[in-house]
Amino acid sequence: MTETASPPQAPAPAPPRRPRLPVIPGPLETAALAWRRLRRMSTALLLLFALAAASVVATVIPQEPVTARSVADWRSGAAGPGAPVASVLDALSLFDVFGSPWFLALTVLLFVSLTGCLVPRYRAFARTLRRPPPAGRNLSRLSHHEVLATTLPPGAALDAADAVLARRRFRRRRVGAAGEQLAAERGAWREGGSLVFHTAFYLLLLGAVIGKAFGFTGQITLAEGSAFAETRIAYDAAEPGRYWGLDDHRGFVVALDDFDVSYFPNFTPRDFVSTVTVSEQGQQVRTERIRVNHPLRHDGMTLYQLGFGMAPHLIVRAGEQVLLDERVLLTPQEGTPNLWAGTAKVKFDDLRRQLALDLALVPNAALGADGQPVITADPRPTNPVLVGSLYFGELGLQRPVPAAEFDRGDGPVDTAMLRPGATAELAKGSLTVEFADLGYWSGLQVSHAPGRELLLLGGGLVLVGLLPSLYSYRRRVWVQARAADGGAAVTVAGVALHRKAAFDDEFAAIVAALRAALPSATPPTQER
Amino acid sequence: MADESLAQTSNTLFNVAFLTYIAAMVAYFFRLAFTRVSADGAIAGTAAGRRIGLAGTALAVAGLAVHLGSVVARGLAAGRVPWANMYEYSSMLALGAVAVGLVVVQRRFGYGHLVGFILAAAVLSMTTGLLLFTEAGPVVPALNSYWIKIHTSAAMGSSSIFIVGFAATALYLVKDTAERRVAARSGAAFAGSTVGAAQTTPVDARPEGYEADAALDDRDVVASPLAQREALSPVLFPLVPGVVVALFTLLVWRAPGGAIVAGSVAALLGTAAWYAVPFLPPAARLDNLAYRTIAFAFPLWTFAIMAGAIWAEEAWGRYWGWDPKETGSFFTWVLYAAYLHARSTHGWRGRRAAWVAVVAFGALMVTYYAVNLWIVGLHSYAGDI
Repeated sequence: MTETASPPQAPAPAPPRRPRLPVIPGPLETAALAWRRLRRMSTALLLLFALAAASVVATVIPQEPVTARSVADWRSGAAGPGAPVASVLDALSLFDVFGSPWFLALTVLLFVSLTGCLVPRYRAFARTLRRPPPAGRNLSRLSHHEVLATTLPPGAALDAADAVLARRRFRRRRVGAAGEQLAAERGAWREGGSLVFHTAFYLLLLGAVIGKAFGFTGQITLAEGSAFAETRIAYDAAEPGRYWGLDDHRGFVVALDDFDVSYFPNFTPRDFVSTVTVSEQGQQVRTERIRVNHPLRHDGMTLYQLGFGMAPHLIVRAGEQVLLDERVLLTPQEGTPNLWAGTAKVKFDDLRRQLALDLALVPNAALGADGQPVITADPRPTNPVLVGSLYFGELGLQRPVPAAEFDRGDGPVDTAMLRPGATAELAKGSLTVEFADLGYWSGLQVSHAPGRELLLLGGGLVLVGLLPSLYSYRRRVWVQARAADGGAAVTVAGVALHRKAAFDDEFAAIVAALRAALPSATPPTQER
Repeated sequence: MADESLAQTSNTLFNVAFLTYIAAMVAYFFRLAFTRVSADGAIAGTAAGRRIGLAGTALAVAGLAVHLGSVVARGLAAGRVPWANMYEYSSMLALGAVAVGLVVVQRRFGYGHLVGFILAAAVLSMTTGLLLFTEAGPVVPALNSYWIKIHTSAAMGSSSIFIVGFAATALYLVKDTAERRVAARSGAAFAGSTVGAAQTTPVDARPEGYEADAALDDRDVVASPLAQREALSPVLFPLVPGVVVALFTLLVWRAPGGAIVAGSVAALLGTAAWYAVPFLPPAARLDNLAYRTIAFAFPLWTFAIMAGAIWAEEAWGRYWGWDPKETGSFFTWVLYAAYLHARSTHGWRGRRAAWVAVVAFGALMVTYYAVNLWIVGLHSYAGDI
């Protein structure tokens, strides 16, 4: 970023013989130049535009932290512009704009530029605050001025004017040898508000960084009747901050006592509620309800209601031996409402003789003509039907992939249709499956978000600073009183340093207030 | 449902308000055509213009009352705030824009002849509402929070004001172009746009937010109003807004028919702007109107984003997750912030700043329509509801 040296302003006295060498700025000069350039408002504007452009990109291109599946589709070429383009996007880290190094660089540049702008402005603002309102000269030549006659002596007239301007939040000072002029100024908080507004962004940044570094977010799915201990291994998915250690987990135990979902008459969910009991060191501490928009805060962690699903309790027996006795978590099937599906790994210790059940559940089934359950619009589990398909053989259940992705090979060995409480025989009676009862599972998110208070404070200051920076205007007003027969002649004058269009009315209002405060010999009705 | 009749009433009132707005818009455009601007920038209507303008105002106020009735009935029918889906939100946007147009633009600034453009924006917004019609019904649990009253109403209010600000910005750009060209043709010494002209001299001495209303006094008075119209291309004016709006509609809705209709309406508006150029207030005043409205809406938009973050923390367990809607509202915010900064930056005042405001409004539209309908995220209405 070396700038070419500007040509000399004054013509050289004697033309140089040798061709001039280009002036190469040294490292210090370059740094000074870069700093000066960074401090410019136009640079700040360009950085803002770059920030906006980055956000636009992040809106149009799916972002990995937000919609990971869309990103996967783009990478594989199943969606979006195709795999080659996606690899280019990946190289530019456009699938994670806000976590990319160049976005970090942009943020740093913005804050450096902000600092460069703010430091001199702080100094100037401090000077403005310390400087008393300047004395006015040639008041009658200012754009706004008016002479009022009063019966008060000059000193008392100025005191009355002082009270009027004080009510209008002017800073005031007496000027002149005998204090014959009142100089007043207001609107310094236009700049002050702007400084507060801009400074608040450091708080926002700090709060966000603290939250990112020391925070934790994890998801857990709990079937009714089960519990989990707040430790790292318990989570299905976890996003710990860089400085969140294993010791930072609280270790309390959350048991899902009950889950309930209610629906509107048109079958959209009205509310879903998890009733949980929190225990610490074996002692039950509290029982609370967690709903959407009503998280549970406990020991610095916040538990949110995310999702829910069906969890039938299945017992699979081979003769007297119980192979499986648990609630199997079923998930909703995309594109088919009111169908829940999942997989139960029944037996997988013997790699060649594994057993798995593919499960499909219809919460409120109607029976079709062929005897098969038909899905209805009603999501409530009033008439649940569970269909289980048994798979046997080398299923690959031991692999570390989601249970549903086992090797289905030659298809199911046997199929059974069950209602709650029913038992069915599978594989010629060698296995029995009991559908004990139907419950729910609840998806919870557990978060620790430090720095929230800082963000709230920063956000508040942004607003507090923004309003005066947009709506406060600098104005100067002078009131001068000189003795006249029967009292004093009071000259009022004013200038607007911003938004002059609005000053006409403001000045008229100030004059009217002064007129009301200064007793006059002439009746006020004749004044206007 | 027992509220069926109320919901029906709401729909009927919506249609009545829609048609009333269209009638009012036509009356306002007539009023605009019958307006004359004197050399000193004072606006005067001919007798016929005043009469038709009065009719337009009466129609707009009546439409606003009916529209309010529709919104209230909708809220009662659904048993919640009437801004929980895109149909209702579009309706509220139109309501807010018309209210701001009548109260601020007409009453406060005295530019009643410009309200036609705002009514047109309201009609467009209501049209998109009709395209997205949803029966009055309850909301998903995530929306069931008192924050919907705070966050959504702030977003709505500021968006309505941004609509008015955009109308003023666009008209400013039109008027400023006409003024410059006429001045250039008449060979008058012209130091740039009216706003720029006032700020060419001791610019650095002037603090942030300085406004150049004083520039009106030392401006070159427009010789003939019609010269301004002749200075502008009658082809480009319908073409550009028509194509932009048609493409946007095509991209978001994938509906060629809708794109043709929306594009035609935008083209018509462009023609109206071209025709109205001589009757528009001076560019500097339009710029002032744009700044005042945007400066009012910006803190409100800031608040809406913050309230949204607090709500997101409560409902989704994180205050900011760069969800497409969050990202969209953030870049809208950044662009409007850039506009406010540009107005106090040397070399950016006037037209360039106005273009930033135009882009910012485009960002707002993308955030509202495209992100909701086209891009999948937590705020998305693309998939469910």
